[in-house]
Formats: sequence, C-alpha cells, structure tokens
Amino acid sequence: MMPSMMPSILTLPVAAAIDRVPGLAFGLPLILVAAIVFAVTHHEDREAIRRAALQWVGWLCGILGGVLVAVWLLGWLA
Amino acid sequence: MGKLEPPNQGRLVAVSPDDGSAIDLKNPLLAAILSWLVPGLGQIYQGRTFKGVLVMATLVTTFLAGMWLGGGRVVYASWKPGEKRWAFICQAGIGAAAIPAMIQSWQLEGSGRQPLACSSFMAPPLSRGQPVSPAYAEALIHDGSGLDADDFRPSPPWRQFRPFPPPGSLDTRPADQLSLWHKQLGRFFEIGTLYTMLAGMLNILSVYDAWAGPMHPAPDARDEEAS
Repeated sequence: MMPSMMPSILTLPVAAAIDRVPGLAFGLPLILVAAIVFAVTHHEDREAIRRAALQWVGWLCGILGGVLVAVWLLGWLA
Repeated sequence: MGKLEPPNQGRLVAVSPDDGSAIDLKNPLLAAILSWLVPGLGQIYQGRTFKGVLVMATLVTTFLAGMWLGGGRVVYASWKPGEKRWAFICQAGIGAAAIPAMIQSWQLEGSGRQPLACSSFMAPPLSRGQPVSPAYAEALIHDGSGLDADDFRPSPPWRQFRPFPPPGSLDTRPADQLSLWHKQLGRFFEIGTLYTMLAGMLNILSVYDAWAGPMHPAPDARDEEAS
C-alpha cells in the first residue's frame, strides 16, 4: 500500500520505490545503526569504533539470521 | 564499563578502554541531560566530538526516517483507557524531538480540546466519540488527513468525532483515527514505529556514555578479569 500520508514532495518517486522494498530489508539499516551505537558507546578511538561496529554487524546479522532460518524452518516443517 | 575515578581537580574522569587514557566527563549530569535532549550533544560538550557527531547523525537520521516512513503519525503520546501508546516510552528516549508529542497530548486532553495551533503534528489519534474544538475539527477536515465533515457531529461547544452509531445501524467507517492511519499507511506504520522506538532506546546508551564514559572495561580491568 502506498504510504499516502508521506510528505507530498517525496510521495511520487521515492515512496513508490520504497513501497516495492521487501519488509525484511527495512531491518538492515537498523542493524547498522545499532552496531554503530554499540561500538560508539564501548570505545573512544576512531579505529576501535570502526572495528567494533563491523564486529557488531557480524554478530547481529548472525544472531538475527539464525532466528530467521529457525523461523523459516519451523514454517517449512509445519 | 568505563571506570569512574575519584574526582580529579573537581571533575570526574573515565578511562578509555582503547589506550587507557583519561576522559574528562566535565559535568556528567549536564552531559547526560544534553545527550538526552539532542543525541550526541553531551559527548560534544565533553569534547568527544567524533563520537557526538556520529551518534547525532545516526540517531537523528533514524528517528527522522521513521517519522517519514510513518507519514509523520507514529510519534504520539496517548494514555487513554484502551489506547495506551506504550511505544512512546521508547520513542521518548530521543529527547527534544519527542517533547512536542507530550505537549500535543496534554493540549488535546486539556480544557481547550485542541493541540497547539490546531496542528495535527504529533497529536494523538482521535477515538470514537471524542470531543474536540470546532477549530481543530475544521483543521482536520481540510488538512488532507482523510476526514470529512461527516466525521464530526456538533456537540456544543465541541464537535464529537464519529459518535457511536445508534444500535442496529451499520457504520462501515474505521472506528477511530488510529484505524484510519493503519489503513492509509499499511506496514509503514509499524516500520516507522520500529525506527523511532529503536532510535529512542539506543539514545539511552548514548546518555549513559555521556554520564559515565564507555561501557567497555578499561585495559587494567580486562587484565584483572583475565588473570
């Protein structure tokens, strides 16, 4: 469904494109955001923040990917 | 957790987990409040500019993206019976950006029965039979939110939003404004809510960082744990 209440200046080209994006894809930016904030609040050094953010992305994708696979398997077996 | 050391010339310091250097927290309470009001501002005040700017860019962008995806409707405060907006507790973590929602809620529930400037921005949805001021009813009818004059019944000195239909009559319209928003926005209502909730919750970590320093153990603490 087109998000009809979005600001009109963005409604036509952007919202129409966003409307075709699978729901799962909206979680990916949130993983990146969480990883950055986790890294920033655990380190001071720029390089350490960068390394920690990448590690957190790996952990979060691994855990959430595992949950996704488990749910998919349960759905497939049911 | 960054180790808080005894006051050093009247100031609290934390220890960097990366190189063991001291981090001047200045006034931690003020930094925490600033960081709550605007994500990252507390760190900038403490001179930790890179962290502050990174947190600010990340969380403010996430919050605004959520607001946009949710059509500007997903951040509101409502504590009416049967329509409590629990998500707002998480959204309020973003600070100043969520304060208008509280003001709009108080105004709409107050004696004037209308949000500030009759604007529906961050105003809670109307429930069936809720009285509002005639000016706010007119504003809703004309702002393209999907409501029309039939949705309000005169009930001097107010206008009543979609009063309960007489028994036995069939009313096919959505029961309240929240149902209308869900119908208009579809999945984007939940996605926008999720984005804004996550931004608010992650800002709590940033507030803690401004108050007490990094959460990672300092090098000497890690060495002690290892031994």
